[in-house]
This record gives sequence, C-alpha cells and structure tokens, in this order.
Amino acid sequence: MATQTVSMDARARAQDRRVMWREARRNGWAYLFISPFYLLYAVFGIFPVLYGLWLSFHKWDGISPMQWNGAQNYLKLLTDDIWWYTIYNTIWLFFGATVPQLCLALLLAFIINSSYIRGKDFFRAAYFMPIVCSAVAVSLIFGSMFGERYGMLNFALSAVGIPPVDWLGSAAWLKPSIAMVTVWQWTGYSMIIFLAGLQAINLELYEAARVDGARTRDVFWHITMPLLRPVILFQVILSIIGAMQTFDLPVMLAGGTQSSAPGGTDRAGLVAAVLLYWTAFKYTEFGYAAAMSFVLFFLIITFSYTYNRFQGRSPTE
Amino acid sequence: MDDKLNRRGFLRLLAGAGGLAMLAACGQAAAPAEQPAGETPAEAPAEAPAQGDTVVTEITFWWWDGVGQIWADEYAKVNPKVKVNFVNTPFADAHDKLLTSFAAGSGAPDVASLEIGRIGGFTAKGGLADLKAAPFDGGSLEKDMVAYKWTQGSTPDGRLVAMPWDIGPAGVWYRADLFEAAGYPSDPEEVEALIGGAENTWDNFFAFAQEFKEKSGGKTSLFADAGTDIYGAVYRQQGEGYADGTKVLIEEKATRPFALAAQARQQGIDANIPWWGAEWAAGVKDNAFAGMVIACWMQGGLTRDQPQTVGQWRIIRAPEANYNWGGSFVAIPEQSKNKEQAWEFVKWAVASAEGQNVLFKQSGVFPAYKPAWQDPLYDEPVEFFGGQRAYRIWAEIGDNIKAIFRTPNDLQLDDIVGAELTKVLQEGKDPAQAALDAEAEALKRVEGTVG
Repeated sequence: MATQTVSMDARARAQDRRVMWREARRNGWAYLFISPFYLLYAVFGIFPVLYGLWLSFHKWDGISPMQWNGAQNYLKLLTDDIWWYTIYNTIWLFFGATVPQLCLALLLAFIINSSYIRGKDFFRAAYFMPIVCSAVAVSLIFGSMFGERYGMLNFALSAVGIPPVDWLGSAAWLKPSIAMVTVWQWTGYSMIIFLAGLQAINLELYEAARVDGARTRDVFWHITMPLLRPVILFQVILSIIGAMQTFDLPVMLAGGTQSSAPGGTDRAGLVAAVLLYWTAFKYTEFGYAAAMSFVLFFLIITFSYTYNRFQGRSPTE
Repeated sequence: MDDKLNRRGFLRLLAGAGGLAMLAACGQAAAPAEQPAGETPAEAPAEAPAQGDTVVTEITFWWWDGVGQIWADEYAKVNPKVKVNFVNTPFADAHDKLLTSFAAGSGAPDVASLEIGRIGGFTAKGGLADLKAAPFDGGSLEKDMVAYKWTQGSTPDGRLVAMPWDIGPAGVWYRADLFEAAGYPSDPEEVEALIGGAENTWDNFFAFAQEFKEKSGGKTSLFADAGTDIYGAVYRQQGEGYADGTKVLIEEKATRPFALAAQARQQGIDANIPWWGAEWAAGVKDNAFAGMVIACWMQGGLTRDQPQTVGQWRIIRAPEANYNWGGSFVAIPEQSKNKEQAWEFVKWAVASAEGQNVLFKQSGVFPAYKPAWQDPLYDEPVEFFGGQRAYRIWAEIGDNIKAIFRTPNDLQLDDIVGAELTKVLQEGKDPAQAALDAEAEALKRVEGTVG
C-alpha cells in the first residue's frame, strides 16, 4: 500500500481523488440512506472521543467551568503510584486470567472439533453458557462461594484437610480469585470463536496428513495452528482490549463500591478501568480521568501492535 | 452537478424527502412519550390541563429506594394540583446521573436526593438552588432540624442548598435470645450498664466481648467485623469527616479507630466476617455473632432478609459516645422549571410531621425534622425490637451527635483511609503508622489540602 502511493505521481493521485468524489456525488442518495449510522456514530462515537481528548488537558469537576491545565494531568499520571499499581494489577490479570483462558479455549476447541467427540452441540452450549450470565450475578454467586467461613470452596478444601483460604480478603489471593472467575466466564466465548476458525479449515488437509502418517500433535502444530493464525490473532487482540478494560468482575469481587474496601486489601483488586471511573465520578476529577483513559488507550494500542509484530515474525510462518 | 433531473433522479429525491419527513414525524411523536421517564423537557414547563378545569403541574423526584412512591401517592391527596413523578434511581449511579445532568445543562429532576457521603461534593459547587432565597423560605426551618445536618446542607458562604431529610442514629444492637442463652441479662437497661452508654469505654466493651466469646465456646462472637463494627463506630463517634475545609485530619482522627479495630482483631473477639455480603448474612443465620454496632437503617434489611431474628434485637447506646451513620438530603436543582411547586412538596415531605412520619412508618428512614418526633409513634413499643421503645432512643441519640465535617474530597479521603485500614486488619500493619501514611497519601493526592 505504502509503496503504491509513493510510486504514484501527484497528478495521478489528484485524478484518483476526483474520480472518487465524482463517484461519491453520483451515489449521494446512498449516503443519505446510511446517514443514521454515521450521524449516530459521530454523535456517540467520534464526538465523545475528541471531547475526552480535549477534557484531558483540563481540570474539571463536572459542574464548575473547565480550566485549561496543559499537560499537567499527564505529568501527574506519570508519577501516580496508585495508577501504575492498577496497571500492574490489570496486566497481572491479563497474564493470570486471559492467557490461560485463551490457551484453555484453544485446547477445548481442538478437542470438541475432533472427530471422536460425540454431542458437540451439547459441549458448545455448555461451555458458552457462562458468558450469558450477567457479571454482577456471577460475582455475587462466586462471592458467596469464595466466602472464608461459609463458602463452598473452603468447605471442599476442608474435606481434603486443607485449611481455609481467605480468597477475597487477603491481598495474595484476591487477584487469583478474580482470575478464576474470569477464566470461568470467558473461556467458552473464546472457544466458540476458535471453533469457528477450526471448522473453516479444509478437512482434506487433515486427511492428507493422516495418510502421510502424522500424529495428532503434529497435525495440531503444523496444520491447525498455522491455519488458525488469523483467528487467533483476532481473538488475542480482542482479549487484550477486553482485559485492559476489565471492570465488572474486579469491582464486584474486590468489595464493590463500599468505601471501607477500596479495591480490596491493599488495593490488590483495583484495576485501571475502576480507578478511572472512580476518579471521574467519585473523586470528580474528570480531566484527570480523561487523561487516564488516553494513557490506557495508548497502552492497549502498544500491546496489540506488539503482539501483532510478534505474531508476524513467528517461525512457523 | 451536471446530472439532469431525470425520472429516476426525481423518484430518488421523492423517496429521500419522504424518508426525512417520516423521521421528523417520528421524532415529534416520540418526544412527549419520553416525558414520564423522568426528564423535565427543556422547553415549556410540564403543565397539562387535567382533572376538569384545574391545572396539574408535574414535578419529578429522584430517590434510590422504591418506598419513595409513598410520598408521591400521599402528596397527591394533600395537593391535587401537583403530581409527583417518583423515579427510582439506583443508588450506585444516582449521584453520577445528577452530576451528568448538571454538566449537560438539562435533565435534572425538580427534586433530587443526595446522600451524606456525597453531599460535600455538591455543596461546594453550583447546580443547586439556595433554599433560603426567594421563592424559597428555608431559613425558618433551621431550629426544627438536627443541627449538624443543617450545617452540612449549607455552603461556606451561608446558602442552604440541601434540605436535611433523614439521619442515621447508631448504637449497639444485640440479640436477646443469644444473650439469654449465654447466661447474660437481656434487658436493655442492664446490658447498657454492662457495655454501653457514656459510662462505659471500648475497653469494657472488648472485655465483655472476650468473655462472651469464651462462654459460647468460641462459637458466638459479640460482633462480626472489627472494620465495620469497631472502626466504623469509633471513627464516627468523633464526628464524621477526615477534613475540615482544606485541613486534613486523618492522623488525628484515624489513629484511635485503627488502633481499637486492630486490638479487636488481634484479640480475636470479632467473628472476622466481612459485612454487606453473603458471609455476613450466613453468619446471622449461624449465630456467629450476637450483636453489631450500626445505625437504625439496618431494621429494614433485617426484617426482609433475616425474619427469624425479628423481635430478638435490642438496642443500647454505644460505649463512650453517640454517633450517626448515614442519612440524606433533598435539593432543588437550578434547572427546575417548577421551583415553587417543588418547594411546596419538599416542605411537606421533609419538614412536616405528616410527610416525614408517613415514610418513617413504612421504611424506618429516620427524620431529621425534630417536630416529627413528637408523634406518639415514637413512644410506642416496637415489635422488631421485642417491644422495646427503641424509636425514642434513636431520637435521643440523633439529637446528641457531634458536628460532621463534609468536604468535596470526602470520597477520596475515605478510600485512602479505607485502603490503610485493610492493611491494619488483614496484614497487621501498625495502626499509628497506617494513619500517618494515609495522611501523607491524602496530602500528596488531594489538591489544595494542608496538614
């Protein structure tokens, strides 16, 4: 794409643009018919983003007039230890929850897709079920299962002689507990995406490999994985975005909005999106929260781009 | 455009124009339908002729408890010219919604509700009408309201922007059945002599708690959680609020509550069950604790969720001092197009014995309006409290509470102190150091504060 544009001379480009505009003008009525989409997108998509960017250079409490603040919000954010701790928590949850969830989902999809499994529809539905539940309801139920004294989990542990664990109360166990619930809720969803990708792979390739005497492991690594790469890429990028913005499970499991437990013991369950929301609506520092959201946006882009590059240089290519 | 207007083009134009007209028509039809959803229309005031020749004005009232419908229904009988549209705004986003409507310049209700924890953020800023200035006459109500509450609803320059509504007098609750089972008296006066009231200290309370737990063989504690029952009470006994204006008071006010909570946790006299969740509810059913230190508003939830305990609860004053936990205000946003009608409703609802008590009877929301307490209702035995005349005790506690400071930074200060409290209770951090660290954190984090 880049090389094409460079090789094209200015006149040709201008000509190209003219053609494009003439096309657009001739089909003006079509743009009218799709206007509900782009008008709504401009109002609810583009405008809030640009306004947020504008806001991030201001000091604003939500009621009083906005004050220009230059880059102060961003400078303050650089040295905000609680903010970077929430980023750490968020990334911890990405590696502790999202990565295992993706691996597990891929494995499950591969197993369910294999020819020797009966009742595929049942498994598909069963694994997909958790995603249908509201995160709040899920948190309430897991919250009671994680209870130190009356929780089912500790009851099960006590049956095999393991002392009770303070799942949600201790700083050390809070993140693993959140990770467990995240894996439970999201594995089925990723699995369905992977399964769709697997089913798009031509069966003849497998048959050919079998004829050549390939083992299941070889088939997985040398046929399934390379051909599934676009789907994996798509799902991993979506998961990075989702994980960086994770909100509902952590906020519910780390004590909700009770002021006596701001993100769990020692803020161990406080993630970036929650701090961002609190900064805006609890602490009424809307400008600072807007700056947080753009830093988070930048981090998401960086991670997604890095993964994309890394994936591109994979040796199986 | 060099295209000629041929037949096809003409048809396209027609179709487009028709579509636009339809859109416009839909827009017009949809607008009035949105009105009952609680939005005051930006244009004309919501006056619609109804009920023969009288004009009924509609006002919107936001609160986060469905029981608010009682006011809407009762007020219709008192003043048929005004229709109150009650909108149940979930607590989690009620204040955010109000803030958003201020920022947007429209969408606020005629009567809004504000919780005590959020009040500081609203009195310090614009958006709410001064209820002392015309057309309002709120100034005359000062002597009738609980004093600290009046101060909270006022701005530093003396405007009254939030009208006191309810208070949260708090004390020690205990289960008569469990006290008797453990061989203790269950009569409130005798129990108060043992562990409550100004004559007793938290040390006495802890010693009793220790003895109580031993007698039950370790099964039943006196209270659930050192964090909520002890820290929550001791902190508020000094008068709630970690800042007086810009001066941060965390070191002064958090050190002792931290220390007492840590002591209770280390001595093992609390059940170590966190509040507000499934564990706590299971703990009540399991008799894991025989009491709690909390405010009057627990009555509603316990009646609903723990009906087996109704009639067993008793209350006494907390050791050392009375305190308050929670409570709300009503306010009239500047945006309101029906300020006079809204004000009439507010006066009836929160500044008349009739309005306050009709809600109190249904919900236990305790009036800040003192004349309401003259009602014989407050001297009646309460079935929930096993026939104890508990409402009179709440009224006395409510009238003797230390001033509560409110600032726009309260929620942030509470979170900073709350984070240190978790370290004290869960990780055994030194309470004095934790208070110092919280103070330093607040000074660093909250702009414009001084030590």
